[in-house]
Amino acid sequence: MTIARHLTEAERHDVADGTLGTDVPTDVTEHLAQCAECAADVARVRQLMTRVREAPPPADAAGDLWPDIRARIEREKIVQLSSAAMQGAGRSMFRVPVMAAGLAAAVILILIALPLMRNGKARLPTSGAAPSAEVRLAADSARAFEREATILLNELELRRAMIPPQRRTAIDHDLKIIDDAILELKQAIERDPNNDALRRMLASSYRQKIDVLKRAGG
Amino acid sequence: MPATSVTSATIDDVVRRAQNGDVAAFEAIYRANTTAIYALCRRMVGDEREARDLVQDVFVRAWQRLPTFRGQSALATWLHRLAVNVVLEHMRSAKRDLARFIDSDDDPTNELPATRAASPDTQMDIDRAVAQLPAGARTVFVLHDIHGYSHDEISQMTGIAPGTARAQLFRARRALMRVLDP
Repeated sequence: MTIARHLTEAERHDVADGTLGTDVPTDVTEHLAQCAECAADVARVRQLMTRVREAPPPADAAGDLWPDIRARIEREKIVQLSSAAMQGAGRSMFRVPVMAAGLAAAVILILIALPLMRNGKARLPTSGAAPSAEVRLAADSARAFEREATILLNELELRRAMIPPQRRTAIDHDLKIIDDAILELKQAIERDPNNDALRRMLASSYRQKIDVLKRAGG
Repeated sequence: MPATSVTSATIDDVVRRAQNGDVAAFEAIYRANTTAIYALCRRMVGDEREARDLVQDVFVRAWQRLPTFRGQSALATWLHRLAVNVVLEHMRSAKRDLARFIDSDDDPTNELPATRAASPDTQMDIDRAVAQLPAGARTVFVLHDIHGYSHDEISQMTGIAPGTARAQLFRARRALMRVLDP
């Protein structure tokens, strides 16, 4: 490299931030030793980086967010999955066959439980006619699940073309089963809004849907 | 026992209690980390109110995901990574396609308004200047130059090509140099 050919933009930044490490090409080093313009520019980049790194973080203008966070955590807890077994099944769904087996077991559980609950055989005590505050909070949580599912579905759509056809079919099949279960559970909850078990099953179904979508995305 | 071990054991205990559903223990985790998480969110989105909402999202997500924390990394590191993901998801949901968003030259304010050269309030100057960067350049600059992520890591997190990340970084630095050191 001659004095006439200055360092490129990338070379200046790479030298300044250490991307090149100790492997700075000799011609770059030699050019920097001779060219005041390039050397000054590298120094300016370094100066900026030092200044930014040494600057204290932005003043914490967040205030105390804990009360709001606490309230959201409590809302989440209302619809949290109560069965540790189901959570375990969700976590083990790494491979499609295992995922399908876990999913099938959970959906079968829902499909068996739902008619029983409709007939009142497995009904948990309900609190009465008007939806309670807890039920309204549960509805908020359901919306949060649906928002997350929508984001993941959008991502899945972007990646759809890259997923092998067989896996794509399996994912669509699993999602269809879960969506059907969610629909049934929502209808059941409309009829029996204070039924705690139905709400837990709905939360479980949402979690399964999100789990399937995340694994599909990963 | 050395002081660091005591501290480490205490943190482990707090994390374990929070993992078992102890909200008071989780509050201690929030109190210990909220300043750093706020700073990250504030710098990544450049907006105070948005950053506050994101801090809430981060800690709610942390509460949900805490059972998956296995302690291979420090809790602060785990929280930091989770916060980056929450912010990027937020950008993704707002813009649908994060890669295209970061990749694009979507902000016409290429020339940032210069701050006073001799301002005594250096930190405010830097924060204000970073906040005024185009979103894509700001994201890459904050992740790379402030938080030390590599271009490959940024590429994986955001979906943009490493070369694009580099170009955005150079763009951000040039803009900041113009503003901070005119």
